Amino acid sequence: MHWTDIAENYDFLMKGLFITLKLAMVSVSGSLIIGIILGVLRYSKLFLLSWFAVAYIESVRSIPLILFIVFIHFGALPYLTGEPSSFFVSACVAFIIFTSAYIAEIIRSGLNSVEKGHIDAAKSLGLNRMQRLTYIILPLAVSRMTPALVSQFISLIKDTSLASTIGLIELTRSGEIIYERTYHETEILIFIAFVYFVICFGLSKLSALWETKPYMCTEHREPVGANQ
Amino acid sequence: MYNFDTSVILESIPFLIEGMKITLFISVISSICAFLIGLIIVFFRTMGSKPLKFIAVSYVEIIRNTPLLIQLYFIYKSLPAIGLMLPPIGCGILALSVYTGAFISEVLRAGINSVASEQYQASISLGLSKFQTFRLVIFPQAIRIIIPPLGSQFINAIKNSSLVSFISVTDLFYRVYKGAVDDFRFFEFFITGALIYMVLTGTVALLTNIFENQFKIQGRTAKA
Repeated sequence: MHWTDIAENYDFLMKGLFITLKLAMVSVSGSLIIGIILGVLRYSKLFLLSWFAVAYIESVRSIPLILFIVFIHFGALPYLTGEPSSFFVSACVAFIIFTSAYIAEIIRSGLNSVEKGHIDAAKSLGLNRMQRLTYIILPLAVSRMTPALVSQFISLIKDTSLASTIGLIELTRSGEIIYERTYHETEILIFIAFVYFVICFGLSKLSALWETKPYMCTEHREPVGANQ
Repeated sequence: MYNFDTSVILESIPFLIEGMKITLFISVISSICAFLIGLIIVFFRTMGSKPLKFIAVSYVEIIRNTPLLIQLYFIYKSLPAIGLMLPPIGCGILALSVYTGAFISEVLRAGINSVASEQYQASISLGLSKFQTFRLVIFPQAIRIIIPPLGSQFINAIKNSSLVSFISVTDLFYRVYKGAVDDFRFFEFFITGALIYMVLTGTVALLTNIFENQFKIQGRTAKA
């Protein structure tokens, strides 16, 4: 085994990890904004708007991500701007387009999960539409959406490895560059997988903590399970 | 305006169809394997002894929290080092089954947890063994609830199968990309490719709906 490869190229790998995290952060912020807009459009009662949102969400969700990345990098962005696109920008655009569709679905189901009783109660207290949304619906919806949003963020972090295929030197690609030189694939791949694992598993554990906070549980759940 | 040339597409339809067959082959085989893996894992996890449970949980967590691309590269590049030579398509199927299997086991677990605990107690008091309980009581009830999420896992398997093109399998995505690069016709090829993927995933979604209605028990609503 050649574990020293990792120590020798540690700085290079960490630079890649930094790009991966930057890519994930930029993409998740962008896709949150677009996803929220789409989710609200989907929730709206105007037929044309919700139809547009449905068409966008359903078509994006049925196409592999890699198709978006490659098409945007080599086809769409160069055509629109007239010059070769940078790796980072095209990866971001692809991830934002892809993830926003999933986030929109989460937003919609979160909004739909608010019971009608809460809304009726708010109405009877004399809150107007905006107040109902900001004080009643959103706080409830957001706390329910958080686990799903975190798991979407986790899968976005995993998906950033696909940006390596267009040549962006993020964690996966930097590992590839190393083992293309040294031919010690196993060690590098295990190390990269470990880094991804630490980030994603940590995030999922954090979100599990959030989920079990008592004040976040709005409904009583029966502890059903196989091992009882 | 972009000059959309349909003739390039019409010429390469057979080329793309060939890729579609490979994509379908990979995703069907690996979906079946993934379902079996998921079943075994979830049986270990819910009814197994402590070490088995630990193995199942670590399998699921490790696979779910690392990118498929890394797993694919690992299987493709590192298994030959320990003397296991698989053709690229075999590596693709193996990686995809392992990956989807972890997700399917989570889906199955959610379904099993949604079966009321009285059912376990009832089957224990009837003297059924653990495996019998699982096979005769829990599984038939759970499967009805999990048909929609299971369908979406199969859809994910189709979409994820596009990654096997990076280990030199000439699947649909590979051919779309190759056609686009050869003729420099990105818009035509990628839109066609996207449409083919949409048809494939749409078919699975439709089948899921049909199965869901087929297995529904009249007058009973799923609670999970």
